[in-house]
Amino acid sequence: MEHWNQLINTALLGTAKKPADSQGLNGPLQEAAHTILNNQTDKEEQFLQLAALIYNFRQSGTQPVTAVVEPIAVCPPETRLYCAPAAVRVLQQALETESIQLLELWLEYCTKANLLLPPAQLPVMLDKGWRNKSLRTLVATAGGQRAEWLGRFNPDWNFSRVVDTIEDRWQNGATAQRLEALKELRATDPAMARSWLQQSWPKESATVKAELLTALEKPADPNDIEWLESLLNEKSKQVKETAQRLLKKLPGSTLHEKYWQIVAGAIQIDEYGQVTVALPEITDESIFQSGIDKLSHDKTVSDETHILYQLISAIHPARWEEHFNRNTERVIALFQQQEGLKPFIPALVLAIATFEDRERAETFMHHSEEFYIDVIPMLPPDQQQQFSEKFFDEHPESIIQYACDNPEEWSLSLCTRIFKYAATQPYTYNQQFMNNHIRQIPVSIAGVLDSIVPTEAYHTGYWNNIKVHLGRLLQAKSQINAVAFQLKNGSTF
Amino acid sequence: MNLSDEQVLAMAPDESSRKSGKDLANPAKWVSKGVSEIALWGECQGSGSKPYQTQIDTGNMAFKCSCPSRKFPCKHGLGLLLLYARQRASFPEEAPPAWVSEWLAKRAEKEEKKATTAAAPDKQADSAAAQAKRQQARMQKVSDGTHELLRWMKDLVRNGIMDMPEKDPSFFENMIRRMVDAQAPGLAAMMRELADISYFHDGWQSIFINQLTRIYLVIQGYQHLDQLPSGLQQDIRSLTGFPVSQEELKEQTGITDTWQVLGKQTTEEDRLVVERYWLYGVNTQRRALILQFFVRGQSTLANTLTPGSSIQAELVYYPSAAPLRALIKQQMTVPANHSFTGQANWQEVVAAQTETSSVLPVYNDQVYTIAHLTPVWHQEQWWLQDNQQQLMPVKKTFQHIWKLLALSGGEPLHMAVTGKETQYEPIGVWHEQEYKIL
Repeated sequence: MEHWNQLINTALLGTAKKPADSQGLNGPLQEAAHTILNNQTDKEEQFLQLAALIYNFRQSGTQPVTAVVEPIAVCPPETRLYCAPAAVRVLQQALETESIQLLELWLEYCTKANLLLPPAQLPVMLDKGWRNKSLRTLVATAGGQRAEWLGRFNPDWNFSRVVDTIEDRWQNGATAQRLEALKELRATDPAMARSWLQQSWPKESATVKAELLTALEKPADPNDIEWLESLLNEKSKQVKETAQRLLKKLPGSTLHEKYWQIVAGAIQIDEYGQVTVALPEITDESIFQSGIDKLSHDKTVSDETHILYQLISAIHPARWEEHFNRNTERVIALFQQQEGLKPFIPALVLAIATFEDRERAETFMHHSEEFYIDVIPMLPPDQQQQFSEKFFDEHPESIIQYACDNPEEWSLSLCTRIFKYAATQPYTYNQQFMNNHIRQIPVSIAGVLDSIVPTEAYHTGYWNNIKVHLGRLLQAKSQINAVAFQLKNGSTF
Repeated sequence: MNLSDEQVLAMAPDESSRKSGKDLANPAKWVSKGVSEIALWGECQGSGSKPYQTQIDTGNMAFKCSCPSRKFPCKHGLGLLLLYARQRASFPEEAPPAWVSEWLAKRAEKEEKKATTAAAPDKQADSAAAQAKRQQARMQKVSDGTHELLRWMKDLVRNGIMDMPEKDPSFFENMIRRMVDAQAPGLAAMMRELADISYFHDGWQSIFINQLTRIYLVIQGYQHLDQLPSGLQQDIRSLTGFPVSQEELKEQTGITDTWQVLGKQTTEEDRLVVERYWLYGVNTQRRALILQFFVRGQSTLANTLTPGSSIQAELVYYPSAAPLRALIKQQMTVPANHSFTGQANWQEVVAAQTETSSVLPVYNDQVYTIAHLTPVWHQEQWWLQDNQQQLMPVKKTFQHIWKLLALSGGEPLHMAVTGKETQYEPIGVWHEQEYKIL
């Protein structure tokens, strides 16, 4: 190679400045070079002949490199089976649609069946996991030892660890796996989950802290208050914001109580059951710093009403029962009857939704003549779909939003309503929307898709493209369901 | 016929066909479909009133479709085959309808005719004298061209190549055009490679001198043609741009074997797509390269090879000192043969290269099947380590390193690689007793 490099140096300068020579050549190569250089030819011909000589010498004598290379650690053997080729083909279809939800669905079936992704599929799936946090735990579980092994070579993929027990996942898993483990524990033992997090807290980075803290969201536990309030002094803005968001949902927290003190002072009931509403001046700036707007954006709503509205929506609805000394039904009646309270009914509904107070949500629905869309997510699933359909035309966008937030698959009739509306707004409810909600879209909608057409002619082309894409998504979904069905009936996935 | 998605999609002539083919692998698109022992067919509802009739001769992997596309295979052919690969059970096994059986009969008839025509002497053949005269004229033209090219190269060498990155494209273009005029399209193509070097990347100097030397060798070879062994004479003629008559080749007896289609590499230049299929004979242990050329979007190839599959075929090699390029005289798809034979280590590979280089100094990339290679990370790049712990670097442009690594898991794998000297690109591996393309 050294000979070759010398030749290149000559070529760079040109033979006019630096004629080719046999310097550095030895043995038969030198002999041959001398023959060339002694020829009665021009310097350029000599250079080209020398180049041809060294070129052939080099390529005829190529040798592999002998070097001491640290041996690559062999991946430990898998203890689980790989999924069947038919399931891999279905996965390919899901990958082609670029819908993360379909991949999630496929991976859920794969992991439920305790099977593994074949090695050839791992790079593409690990890449999907890297780009989409929601897939990480599933990819790690379905990836087995090989995925963890690959993660050692590609830092983007190091979210994949083979972990078995919940404790193992918490101790040795990647962030997504740890969060999942913490959420699982939180559902059964909130205090223990908090204690795990407290123990590891000093060792975590700010981003991981903020991420893990979200595990405390459900179920809410008043015993978290003290610790969460101490986190308001953390350096990281991200952590502080997450802690504050959690504290807002905990009656008894300092912030909640401050809100309540203002509201309780502003809304009074006299001995005749008359309610007066008068907001005193708020001098505590921390109220506004916590996210309460000072000024109303609506001319018809005063600043005081706007502030009260926000505070009421952030206060647990149970507080009104103590305050007015009345049960839920009568509190609702008071809000409906008293002129001063009427503007705050939507705020009360928002509070019911924020604190996920399902019991009061149902009571409210029974005693309200008006329909409040924000109550929908608090209702039992069958009622949610029923109300969604009933009030669809009044609040199409909000109902679609709630339907999207609800993981349940939509009924065919609700889905038809949604798509009929979507056909009028194809730029909002586009292919990406379909990708993101294919889990909720029933496969049976394929049969009625042709009958759903946009009202505006200029939307037709765009909507048709969406339908074609949706067709692909539905086909892949039905294939995944079919594979899962076979699995249920004893075949391999 | 047992094809994977990857194998079907590897047949696509371009990316848009691949995408459209995937879209058409949807049962809702097909009005009817069916399969028999030798064929696969379906009617696809397109934009017209009548559905397109798509048919595939699964024995020879030949496609026909009534759609107006000039691509080959068209998106309907790909879609149908992909659908079959995914949902075999949805294809009823039955006798082919008339439109399919007529086509199959015509194909069989054509084959027969071809065989008869090949046996008959060519009535239209030019007189030998006229042919020789034309040939002589061309030889002279090419010879003049090589002298001019050599002068141009010498000027370059005299003045130095330092300022090559700043050269105007016309610097090369004029000489490329001159080589075309001199009826030396092979030299024009070699010059095009010189022009296409990425002059803004480190190491262009070495690549440049490499290519310049190759061109010089071909020129020298051509100018001293009668002193060369007959095999090498043919190589030099091909490299200069003299065509080899495929009809004449087909008249020769070929080598019949079960050939593994190890992989396919596609390159494109000025809308001309070049497909390289690398084959390996299971019994003869010979390697072959099948080249197919077509203008992008107008593929009209007769047969399609499926990477990862096997064919029972008679191959005729182009005359060469180190025969590699071949054409398929006749072929029949057979169940994939996953057996492995090949070189034991890198030493055997370089020994084979030395042998090739000794008879054909201007040889191109070769294909090798090598036992027990492990991908390893060393000095900031990937290498393939053999069972003697010797290493060869993986081409930096290799795109499937992660798939290779995932299949290996740190264990050695038998591998099919293409390349020469110190640059190799894996194209497939034997994994769990099965050959898998990368």
